[in-house]
Amino acid sequence: MTIREFKLPDVGEGVAEGELVQWLVEPGDAVSEDQPVAEVETDKALVEIPSSYDGTVKELRAEEGEMVPVGDVIITFEVAEEAEEPEAAGESEAEEATEAEATESEATEAEATEAETTTPGERVFAPPSTRRLARELDVDLQSVAGSGPGGRVTDADVRAAAEAGTERRTAESPEPRSVTFGSGTPAVSRREPDEPTVSRREPDEPTVSRREAGDRTARAVERVAEERASSRAAGRERTLATPATRRVAEELDVDIDDVPTEKTREGEPFVTAAMVHDYAESQRAAAETATEVEAEVGSVSEARAAEAPAETLAPEETVEATGGESGPVPGDRVPYRGVRRSIGEHMQRSKAEIPHAVHYDGVDVTDLVRLRERLRPIAANRGVKLTYMPFVLKAVASALREHPYMNASLDEDAEEIVLHDEYNVGVATATDAGLMVPVVRDVDEKGLVEIAAELNDKVERTRERTIGREEMQGGTFTVTNVGVVGGEYASPIVNHPEVGILAMGAIEKRPTVVDDDVVARHTLPLSLAIDHRVVDGAVAAEFTNHLKSSLSTPERLLLE
Amino acid sequence: MVVGDVTTGTEVLVIGAGPGGYVAAIRAAQRGLDTTLVERDAYGGVCLNRGCIPSKAYITATDVAHEAATAEEMGIHADPAVDMAAMRDWKDGVVDRLTGGVEKLCKANGVDLVEGTARFTGENTVRVEHGGEGQGSETVEFERCIVSTGSRPIQLPGFDFADDPVLSSADALDLDTVPDRLVVVGAGYIGMELSTVFAKLGTDVTVVEMLSDVLPGYEDDVARVVRTKAENLGVGFNFGEGASGWRDSADGGIVVTTETEDGEESSYAADAVLVAVGRRPVTDTLDLENAGLEPNEDGFLETDDRTRTERDHIHAVGDVAGEPMLAHKASAEGIVAAEVAAGEPAALDHQAIPAAVFTDPEIATVGLTQAEAEEEGFTPAVGQMPFNASGRALTTGHTDGFVRVVADEESGFVLGGQIVGPEASELVAELALAIEMGATLSDVASTIHTHPTLAEAVMEAAENAMGEAIHTLNR
Ligand SMILES: Cc1cc2nc3c(=O)[nH]c(=O)nc-3n(C[C@H](O)[C@H](O)[C@H](O)COP(=O)(O)OP(=O)(O)OC[C@H]3O[C@@H](n4cnc5c(N)ncnc54)[C@H](O)[C@@H]3O)c2cc1C
Repeated sequence: MTIREFKLPDVGEGVAEGELVQWLVEPGDAVSEDQPVAEVETDKALVEIPSSYDGTVKELRAEEGEMVPVGDVIITFEVAEEAEEPEAAGESEAEEATEAEATESEATEAEATEAETTTPGERVFAPPSTRRLARELDVDLQSVAGSGPGGRVTDADVRAAAEAGTERRTAESPEPRSVTFGSGTPAVSRREPDEPTVSRREPDEPTVSRREAGDRTARAVERVAEERASSRAAGRERTLATPATRRVAEELDVDIDDVPTEKTREGEPFVTAAMVHDYAESQRAAAETATEVEAEVGSVSEARAAEAPAETLAPEETVEATGGESGPVPGDRVPYRGVRRSIGEHMQRSKAEIPHAVHYDGVDVTDLVRLRERLRPIAANRGVKLTYMPFVLKAVASALREHPYMNASLDEDAEEIVLHDEYNVGVATATDAGLMVPVVRDVDEKGLVEIAAELNDKVERTRERTIGREEMQGGTFTVTNVGVVGGEYASPIVNHPEVGILAMGAIEKRPTVVDDDVVARHTLPLSLAIDHRVVDGAVAAEFTNHLKSSLSTPERLLLE
Repeated sequence: MVVGDVTTGTEVLVIGAGPGGYVAAIRAAQRGLDTTLVERDAYGGVCLNRGCIPSKAYITATDVAHEAATAEEMGIHADPAVDMAAMRDWKDGVVDRLTGGVEKLCKANGVDLVEGTARFTGENTVRVEHGGEGQGSETVEFERCIVSTGSRPIQLPGFDFADDPVLSSADALDLDTVPDRLVVVGAGYIGMELSTVFAKLGTDVTVVEMLSDVLPGYEDDVARVVRTKAENLGVGFNFGEGASGWRDSADGGIVVTTETEDGEESSYAADAVLVAVGRRPVTDTLDLENAGLEPNEDGFLETDDRTRTERDHIHAVGDVAGEPMLAHKASAEGIVAAEVAAGEPAALDHQAIPAAVFTDPEIATVGLTQAEAEEEGFTPAVGQMPFNASGRALTTGHTDGFVRVVADEESGFVLGGQIVGPEASELVAELALAIEMGATLSDVASTIHTHPTLAEAVMEAAENAMGEAIHTLNR
C-alpha cells in the first residue's frame, strides 16, 4: 500500500481558493476513482471534488468551513502499490518536474560563473557594499551570476539582475521571495528601482501658461495616459491569488482581476500581495495626477480602468442570505466569503461606478394573461411549463433591438461604447447561497417554448448549483422577477458591465382606467434601471414603452 | 532631579551604553530618529570600563616593563620598578577619556541620555529607576527598543566576588598592589590575558582549568604557541581540575582547593584568586516578561538577521544577543539595529567576525579554519608564513608564531586566517577585509606590502597557499 496525497484541483473558477463546505467521505471509507469526496464552494459555484484514486481514505487534511488554496493537499488515500498514477496526479507531478527542470536549466543558463560564485555552504562572494545594494534592490544574491574575478558579484551584476528582476522572479519562483521585514518595520519600498514612479512629474516641464491651449490639453492627456500605463487595470477574467493576497486586495479596494501581473501559476495569471500594493499605489498616484491635470487644463476626461468581462451576478437588493437548517443563528458572526462576498463585491462595483437612473411604469397585461392560459396546455404537452418570463424575455429582446444602446457596455479604457450584436438575457435567480444569473443566449432567435424549456432547466440547475460558469456569462441585459416574492417596484442595480436591468413586479389585478371606467385588470409593474453614462432617461422611457406595447399586445411577440 | 513619575516618549529607546548600545543610539540619532539612551552604570559599558580597554592598558604597560627587563640580547640591561597605583591612575585616565568621549558623542548627535535602570512595564514602555535615594523614576514610552544590556562574569559556587581575595576580571583590573601569588580559575581568553599581565608584573601565577588545554576553541598549533610562552613566563598550568573552594591560610594568604573529575583534590597557596570562567548575558535587570519576551536556555535574547527579537519592535544587540561576546560584534549589531529601526534594509550579512586574544604572543582569527572549510565542502588551499622567517619580526625580537591563510582552492577566494604572533590583532584586519570583499589569494599576494613589516607575512602566506612564496618553502 502506498499513500497518495490529493490536492485541491483547479475547480475552473479562476480562483485560488475554495471553501471546503462538506466532506462526503470519512477516514477508512473505501472510495473509487471519480467518486465525489468533498463539496467545495468557490466564488461562483458549489462543486463536488471527485477522487482520483481507488483506495481507502487515510486522512482528511482540511476542516469543513476552511478556505483551502488550490494546490493544497486536502485528503490522503491509501492505494494498492501497483495502482497506476491517475491522470490528475500524474499531471501535477509532471508539472512539478517541469518546474524543477525549468529552475535547473535556468541555473545552468546562469553559466559556469554562478557555479563558482555559489561555492559550498551557499556562500556568495560579494563585497559588503554590494550585498547591501542587493538588499536595497531586492535581489537574491544567490541567483546572481558574478562577473568579477572568480565569479565575484559586483554592483553592476546586482543592478543588471534587478532590471531583469521581474521576469527572473516569474520564471524562478512562483512564491514571492520571502521578505524578512516584520510587520513592525517601517515599510521599505520593494518596487523595482527602474520601474517608473507613477506620481513623478517632469521637473522641467514648462509652465502651461506659455503654451497653446490645445497643445496643453494634448500634453495633459498624454501625461494622464502615461501615468495610466502603469496603473492600467488588467481586467482579467481569472486570477489566481492566495487568500491572504485577496484580503489585501479587499482592504485596498482593488479588484484582483485588475492587478497587472506577468506571473503565472499552472498557466493562470497569478497575483501576489506586493503586486496588489503596487497597483493600489499606482492607481492612487494616477488619480492624483488626473486631478492635477484636470485642475490645470479644465477638462480631461477621466479615463478608466478597463472593464472586467461580463460577470454573472445580478443586481438586486433583496437577496436572501445563506440559510440552512444548521445555519447561523442571531448573534453569530457569519464569514463574508464565497458567493455572498462575490455578489457583494460585484454590487459594490456596479453601484460605485455606474450612475443609475430608474424608470418606473406599469403595463396592462390582461391579454398576456389570456394568451399564456391558452398556450400553457400546448407547452405542457411538450413537457414544458410556460411562465410569463419567456414572454418578457422576448419583449426585452425586441426592445433591445430597437434600442441598441440598451444592449451595450461601456469600455472605459478604450473610451468606447460597445454595442453588442447578441441578445443574451440573464435571469436573476435566488439560490440558497445567494443571487445567481443564468443567461439565455440569443433570445431573439428562439421561440417561446424553446426559451421556456431552456430557462426552466437553467433556473433549476442554478438552484441546485450545478450550473456551469459559462452558462452564467455573456449576458447583455438582465431581468429580475422581484414580483415572485412580492412587491411592485424596485430599484435594481445594473449588472456591470451591462447597461440596463428590468425588474418585474407581481402580475396582479389592479384598478385600471379603461374607457373612463376604473376596472380590475391584470397589470405588470416595471422598473428599469439604466447606466446613465450610456443612455439617458428618455431612452429608458422609450425602451419601456416598447416593452409595454409588446406585453399589452402579446400576439406581436409570436411574430418576433 | 526628577521626583515622582513622569512620562516621556521616544522613537528609539536604547538600554545599555556599552559598545552595542551607544553605537546604536548614535546611529539612530544620525538617522533622524528621536533617541533615548539609558545607562545605569557607566557610559561605554563593560568594554570601556572593565573589559577591553583597561585590560589592554595593563597588557601594554606590563609589556613595556617586561620588554625592558628582558632585552639583554639587544644589549639593554634594566630592572624597571612598577608603581601599580600609578599604573592604575594612568589606566583610569584612558578610560575616563574614552567614556567621556562616548558621552560627548551621544550628546553631539542629539541622543537623550538618561541615567538609571530601565525595566519593561509593557510592550512599549519602560520605567527608568534613577539611581540613589529620592531620585525617583520615569516612564519612557518607545516605538522601538534596542536592548544591549551586555553580560557579567559568571560566579563559581564557593567563590563570592564580594569577598576580598576573590577577584572578578573587573576587580583584577582595578588593583593598586601586585599580588605575590595568584590563582587564575579558567584558561579562556580573559584568564590567559590577565595571567600574562600578572606574570609580567612578577606575580607567581597558577592557572586551574577544567579542560585539557588553554584557549578552548582555538586550533592546537595556535594555542600551543601561547601556552609555551606563558609557561616560559612562569605561569603554572593545572589542567583537568575544577576549583572547588578557598579558605584563609595561616600565612595571611588563602588556599584554593581544586578537584579532578575523579575526585582527586589539590590545593594552591595564593594571595588572591581570579575567577574568569565565562560571562553570562544580563537580562535580569529588565523584567522582560512585561514585554512578552523570554531569554533562551543560555540566557540570550534570540534575534534574526535584522537583530529583531520575537517582538519585531524590540531589538537585541551585543553580548545579550549571543556569541561571540565581543565588542566589535556588539557595535556591528548596534548599527544594523539602528538602521533597521530607521527603515533601512540593513542586515547582519557579514561573512566573518574576527576575534583577538591579547596574550603574548597575540592570537587573531577570522573566518574558517582548514577543518571548518573542509566541513563546509570546500577544498581548501592553505598557506603559512612563520614569523621567524620575517625580517621585521626578527627586528622586534618576537619570532614566535605564524600567519596562516585558508582559501578555496578552485576559485582562490580567501575563506579564513589564523595568526599567532606579534601584532596579530592588527594583522587580521587585512584578512577580514579580503574575506568580506571576496578577494582571492592572488589579490592579497599581488597587493604590494610595505617592507619591512609584519604584514608582509600575510602576503607571503597567501603566496604560499598558491605555491608561489619566495621566503618560505612552498608545500
Ligand atoms: C576583561 C575583559 C576583556 C575583554 N576584552 C575584549 C576585547 O579585547 N575585545 C572585545 O571585542 N571584547 C572584549 N571583551 C568583551 C566586551 O567587553 C563585550 O563584548 C562588550 O562590552 C559587549 O558590549 P555590550 O554593549 O553588549 O554590553 P556591555 O558592554 O556589557 O554594556 C551593557 C551595559 O548595559 C548596562 N545595563 C544593563 N542592564 C541595564 C538596565 N536594565 N538599564 C540600564 N542599563 C543597563 C550595563 O550597566 C552596561 O553598561 C572583554 C570583556 C572583559 C570582561
